[in-house]
Amino acid sequence: MAGSALKRLMAEYKQMTLNPPEGIIAGPVNEENFFEWEALIMGPEGTCFEGGVFPARLTFPPDYPLGPPKMKFTCDLFHPNIYSDGRVCISILHAPGDDPMGYETSAERWSPVQSVEKILLSVVSMLAEPNDESAANVDAAKMWREERDKFEEIAEKHVKKSLGL
Amino acid sequence: MPVILLERIPLPSLRAYTGFSVVLLACALFYAHQVVLNAESVGLEIPVVSVEQLDDGSFNNNEIQYMNVSLPYDAYVWNMMYVMTAEAWCVWTLVNTAYCCLILLGKLVQKIVFGELRVSEQQHLKDKFWNFLFYKFIFVFGVMNVQTMEEVVLWVAWFTILGFFHLLTQLAKDRFEYVSFSPTTPHFIHLKLLSLLCVIVVSCCGLLTVCGLVGFQMGLTIFAFMAAECLLLAIRTLYVVARYCLHLTDMNLEGVWENRATYVYYTELIFELAALSIDFGHHLHMLLWGNIFLSMASLVICMQLRYLFYEFQRRIKRHKNYRRVVKHMEERFSMATTEELNNNNDDCAVCWEKMETARKLPCGHLFHNSCLRSWLEQDTSCPTCRLSLNEHPVNRDPNSNVPDNQNREVPPANPPGNQTMNHFFHFDGSRYVSWLPSFSVEVTHTNMLANHNRLTPAQTSQLDNMARQVLQVFPHMPLNAVVDDLRVTRSVDFTIENILEGRLQAPPPGTLLTRALGEEETSSDDSDNYQTASARADGVDIDQQDYLEIPNETGDNNGSETDNERSDTLSQFSGRFSKSANERETMLEDRKNDMLEIARRRFLAKKSDDNSLSSEETEEASVSDYSDNINTSSASNSGDTSDTVRRRRELAYMAATRRLGQQTYDTSIE
Repeated sequence: MAGSALKRLMAEYKQMTLNPPEGIIAGPVNEENFFEWEALIMGPEGTCFEGGVFPARLTFPPDYPLGPPKMKFTCDLFHPNIYSDGRVCISILHAPGDDPMGYETSAERWSPVQSVEKILLSVVSMLAEPNDESAANVDAAKMWREERDKFEEIAEKHVKKSLGL
Repeated sequence: MPVILLERIPLPSLRAYTGFSVVLLACALFYAHQVVLNAESVGLEIPVVSVEQLDDGSFNNNEIQYMNVSLPYDAYVWNMMYVMTAEAWCVWTLVNTAYCCLILLGKLVQKIVFGELRVSEQQHLKDKFWNFLFYKFIFVFGVMNVQTMEEVVLWVAWFTILGFFHLLTQLAKDRFEYVSFSPTTPHFIHLKLLSLLCVIVVSCCGLLTVCGLVGFQMGLTIFAFMAAECLLLAIRTLYVVARYCLHLTDMNLEGVWENRATYVYYTELIFELAALSIDFGHHLHMLLWGNIFLSMASLVICMQLRYLFYEFQRRIKRHKNYRRVVKHMEERFSMATTEELNNNNDDCAVCWEKMETARKLPCGHLFHNSCLRSWLEQDTSCPTCRLSLNEHPVNRDPNSNVPDNQNREVPPANPPGNQTMNHFFHFDGSRYVSWLPSFSVEVTHTNMLANHNRLTPAQTSQLDNMARQVLQVFPHMPLNAVVDDLRVTRSVDFTIENILEGRLQAPPPGTLLTRALGEEETSSDDSDNYQTASARADGVDIDQQDYLEIPNETGDNNGSETDNERSDTLSQFSGRFSKSANERETMLEDRKNDMLEIARRRFLAKKSDDNSLSSEETEEASVSDYSDNINTSSASNSGDTSDTVRRRRELAYMAATRRLGQQTYDTSIE
């Protein structure tokens, strides 16, 4: 039921507002629908995504937090763990039971003790350290492995684009 | 599907249709008026009604003769009505007018109660409408096999009213679900929706009475057909009302409503099962009574029956699973004692609400009864530590889609190089600038996995969380030392106390690195070792080592400065949490804009620095001697070279390497 999900999302929103993790802002797109959030993520310093501000959509299921939200970047982002349509592929977002890549243990999957904050922090760490073993974007993973310069160049272009410059 | 085909039919706009209906009605009235006037003035001589029009089966010859003779009533009004109902095109005009009024009424209700419809609501409405039309068409012509026009008209009238209420219920249900997604819906919206639903329920009662009256004359079968439809509508509406009431009670209740989930579950169960069984019986009745086993209609009904049956089965299965989980839970997990609750002083990890009562898992984690149950319905592990809670795999529902590895214990040690545990790895994302050796989290995990028992993964996330809190207060402390201490104290406060009282001290950076890496080299003052170690720790090739080394060293020296600077800029991102929805919205918007603005400014500043400096110092940062440059700068930085100069050099160097990379890339393309 949406009631308990709503309360929990409200609590999370409050926490993210009062005590936001560095370089992350998240909140509902509009107050009429608490199940659709927008998050801004700053590219982690010292990586090729440094300085970028990347917007993403989080869509929560009505039974949240029993089921994980879906996350999708709404900007261009070339990264081994992000599908070309912006969907994020990290184990924490997979419900226990489905395993698209076929080798995650259940311990890494979604559980109700996870939260928006933890998801976004995982995404930041994913930006900093792509996991090219379970690539969602094979081209990006290949380039990350073999042509790092080129990869960084593309990343910088996307950083610039994300800032509207 | 009929829906897709029928959606293509162009429908006239409501305005045009209303206009057309009004004109038609006016014509009919004028015509009837003329007829009546003529009849009165000429003395009961009536212009002959065109027989062709009337002879289409809807009216029998008796009436035509009747009309030729005289008008039956004296009063003008009655005569008007008589003519209107006697003549075919006037009758159709009346029917059309009735439909037009109904549509206008629907529109009015929509305007008052719902306002603008959302796209998904419109879509649902359309689907529901065409589906309803399709199935009732099958019913009237396939099952009832209606022959005469009067019967068709009566059935159509009945289903029109029913369909109208069905659509309103559908709309109300959609809107309720949408409204329940928001915490800030005004009260009058709830009031409007609920009163509409109540009106529908009352109308259902009225319709049921009509069913009774009709059934009294037409027999039990007709009554059963009509009443089933009515009951279905009533149940669906009542279901929405019940859910709505539960939702409102929950939202207006302060604190936690322990039994809420149980109420919600059983309401859902009862209403769903009732609706499914009535629907199933209704369809079965149609199939048997109609005696139509070899027609299209029977095919459609059979499909529907099959679907209903599977739904029913699924629901029962889910309920069995629910019962099993409840039983399992009550047997194996005791309620936490008051003392345990007091010691816990943490909220339920699932719903983040305070715990008045709780169940305790074998691993010591506490949860609300209902929160735990709804999680166990879909998984069999502790939400916090993933400890498998299923000791009797035989009892497990073989159809539930819980994979087998849920039953396994968490593996005692992950293979080395497994990077799975670093969820909180780059919390501040400052690998090279800051005081925080970023790799240490990863290494700590491996150590912990190797040394501790299977419960350890549970605590890693919590420890990480706590360590982060401590590091926010004491950024200079090495992460692994903090984590080590946390493992002993298990409390942020105690660890902070330990640091404050000097029981826990930050080791010099060299030892820190070697410790974190777990390497044998103890000669940490050897700068070569130091460099290789850190480079390896970052998982970077040795030839990139120098490139990475520069920011790292600066980080060691002016880390605290950058730190303060950053916390200044970023502190504006955190805000206050307003009670008003609008204010919250604007504040969030402001924070987003601020962040973007700061990021932009920083980016531009960096860019301009880059450009101006790289052009100045191109020769200096030429490819051949860049390592010399770096070495001198890093060697002298403790002495007289100021920070800014050093920084410039680094930037220049980075620009140079980037340009170099660009060149090689270009040549490779050529």
